[in-house]
Amino acid sequence: MVEKLYMTGNEAAVRGAVDAGAKIMFGYPITPATEILEGWIAKTVTDKSLQYLQSEDEVASGFGVLGAVAGGAKAFSASAGIGHVLMQDPISMAENMRLPFVGIMMQRGGPSTGTVNFSQQEVNLAIHGGNGDSFRIVYSASSVEDMYELVIKAFNAAWKYRFPTFVLGDGYLGKMKSTVEFKKPLKPVEAKPILSESGKPMWLRNCFSSEEELNTLLNNHIVDWEKNKSKIVESETFHTNGARYLIVAHGLVASAAKETVLKMRSERIRIGLFRPITLNPFDGEALRTAARSAKHIFIVESAYGQLGKIAKAELAGHNIKTKISQISKPAEGYTPEEILAEIKKHNK
Amino acid sequence: MLNTMPKSWNIESKPHLFCPGCGHGIILKQLGFAIDSLGLQKEITMGVDIGCSLLAWDFLDVPTIQTHHGRTTPLLVGYKLVKPKRIVISYMGDGAAWGIGLQNTIHAAYRNNPVTVIVINNENFAMTGGQASYTTLPGTITPTSPVGKPADLGSGFKGPELIRNVAHKDAFIARTTVTNPIHLLTTLKKAIMTQKENNNFALVEVLSICPTNWKTGAKASLDLASEMEKVYPIGEVK
Amino acid sequence: MTGTTKIVLAGEGGQGIQTIAKVITEVAAKQNFQVSYIPVFGVEQRGTPSVALIILSHDKIFYPRFEKADYVVALQKRAVASVKSYITEKTKVVFDSSTISIKDLPTSAIHRFGIPATQIATEQFTAKAFNLIVTGKLSQVLGLDEDHIWQKIEKLLGKKFKTAEIKEKSHQAYLFGRKFVFELKRFSRPLFQPSTDKIIIKNDEKLAQIYPERCKGCGLCIVKCPVGALKFSDTLGVFATPVPEIDLEKCIACGNCFRFCPDGAIAVEKNKKKK
Repeated sequence: MVEKLYMTGNEAAVRGAVDAGAKIMFGYPITPATEILEGWIAKTVTDKSLQYLQSEDEVASGFGVLGAVAGGAKAFSASAGIGHVLMQDPISMAENMRLPFVGIMMQRGGPSTGTVNFSQQEVNLAIHGGNGDSFRIVYSASSVEDMYELVIKAFNAAWKYRFPTFVLGDGYLGKMKSTVEFKKPLKPVEAKPILSESGKPMWLRNCFSSEEELNTLLNNHIVDWEKNKSKIVESETFHTNGARYLIVAHGLVASAAKETVLKMRSERIRIGLFRPITLNPFDGEALRTAARSAKHIFIVESAYGQLGKIAKAELAGHNIKTKISQISKPAEGYTPEEILAEIKKHNK
Repeated sequence: MLNTMPKSWNIESKPHLFCPGCGHGIILKQLGFAIDSLGLQKEITMGVDIGCSLLAWDFLDVPTIQTHHGRTTPLLVGYKLVKPKRIVISYMGDGAAWGIGLQNTIHAAYRNNPVTVIVINNENFAMTGGQASYTTLPGTITPTSPVGKPADLGSGFKGPELIRNVAHKDAFIARTTVTNPIHLLTTLKKAIMTQKENNNFALVEVLSICPTNWKTGAKASLDLASEMEKVYPIGEVK
Repeated sequence: MTGTTKIVLAGEGGQGIQTIAKVITEVAAKQNFQVSYIPVFGVEQRGTPSVALIILSHDKIFYPRFEKADYVVALQKRAVASVKSYITEKTKVVFDSSTISIKDLPTSAIHRFGIPATQIATEQFTAKAFNLIVTGKLSQVLGLDEDHIWQKIEKLLGKKFKTAEIKEKSHQAYLFGRKFVFELKRFSRPLFQPSTDKIIIKNDEKLAQIYPERCKGCGLCIVKCPVGALKFSDTLGVFATPVPEIDLEKCIACGNCFRFCPDGAIAVEKNKKKK
């Protein structure tokens, strides 16, 4: 069943949260994510089963999410830029205690307060922002449809696998209005109380006295992560069959790159696009498959190598002899023509 | 066989890991008796901070969650929103409530979130070795004030009085002391019932003792706590 | 002393293990040893065994932790488990024979050196000076200067010597340790072990209960008793601190000890039945 609508990425995110079974949102106004908070609050006016709290800052928002999930309710926050930085305090707690924290992060120029517009510079932050070993699931949205679908996937992944889960969008995606067709939504995963009240009390802590205790806990996390990685990874290939040139890009830059691919293909250049949907865990196998036939790979991002570092690590040591060019434009977006020009420049 | 402990104490975690003579033990005992006498053991969820209050993570026979520094209250605010029938107790020290978590304490009071906050005031950052905190008095020698806490860092932070200014008129704000366990008990009970019966915010600061970092014996510790009442008055803050 | 010596010190938190380590290592550093010292620590200030790892060497030391020790010094029964893994057939195991029985030592501890420091300190000096006796003996074994060590003890512990008498007794305890000859075959009896039994005392009117396994010797009950019915006894609690004893005739069962005990280690009640 297909529903045709016209909405912004931020509006799509709210719709995704509602359809995912979220019950409460904690947030703080920050461009370009504010409309998610406002849109959710508007929903709570007509749907009394939904709640919200506009917290005093992003740290409080994040801890509010943790409290709500401890109580067994699907909860989330949305932020950006420096708010995303502040939220690492509660997110680190979620990492340690396997709490299903869901966050929608609309990347803006960084570091610091940068711009309110656009970037792809919060990849490192979303994956590695805490003081642990980064067991977080990170999705990258490349379209308004993604903002809806990936939010639902994020809630399902968080509650099924119990890793904090993020959807990375950006300012353009949040604000752009697009005609969209939503697929039938995935069935939401059930939420269960975490700090259970019946039977023997649960005592949950994240601080341990001995190294050995914490190491044991982390080894358990590693087992779960390694066991479930292959079920979580997702990626998309676009015209990669027999492609001699391969673009690697994520998020909205990947959408621009799709236009680039189509333009170059019309000029008979055999180029394709590999687009990771999960940045962490990363679909390295699919990347390597797409890369094997290519003679030149172009990593394109609006950051300085944040995607590039991941992609290169996945390609290394697998006997892939392809030339790799890193194309970086921190905090600034690309048009499809600009991507084309950059590729031509690097291919000389 | 005599009861030396409240029923709501988790006997498996005893002897507990608080220092000898620590005020936490006295406070948690009266909190246990408060919970026993109100019959609320099955309704309570507790949050503890990362300071010495961390050591209370498995202290009572109630679901308990330990959080980051100063973040117990905002976590329990979120929890209470989705679990309004639970009685939530946010248990933290003076460093947490009046410093890193002050923002959160103020806003929970300002919004009249129905949580009960218990602030254990022993005038130092005890877990990390006794560094000066906001309630440390001027002139006190601590590892971060080796020649005495400078007077221009403040004359002693009066948290409950500050909170009274932003809290709802029906919120219960009070200060009590370990030197008076009976007053401590009645104050804790009232703070819990403010949440249960009236759905209002409650905050109780308890003047406590820290023999380890104060480097005082039993008598000197209690005397020092009594001295503190001159700066931090006991009773309800109206 | 040649080559490298690896030492593990272990005792109850609050017994002064880290202080002993500081005294020894600071003097050794001045005495031209290469020194490394690291406490093994967790969050708690008290209530868990306190362990110190020390390396003294003539070569540069790169890393503070090690697997096997040349000396293991165990000053409390609970701490023995923390140091078991460091013991090989070459390790010299020094232990407080007045609190630890040979049976409590692991079978791997072949070379045993007893020093009944707690007993000697309690009977001849002051109870708290037991770790000075140990410091005395250890510093002598390691070839550290007698006067430098005492000066360091004065510097680090000076504030704890509240009277000239205590300071003098402490000094004598230290010197006693320096001269002490280890027990090699016949060891003192471990009479100063922590008690684990409940203490129940009753008379016609009242019933009192004390739990040494919970008592940390804080003394709050003694201070808050309005009639002076409580005082410290010779029984040791689980943290190697003295447990109070109650004079039931003086006691008025006011409940203060019960109210103030942070550990749930004491209670007194009036008997309900009338005789």
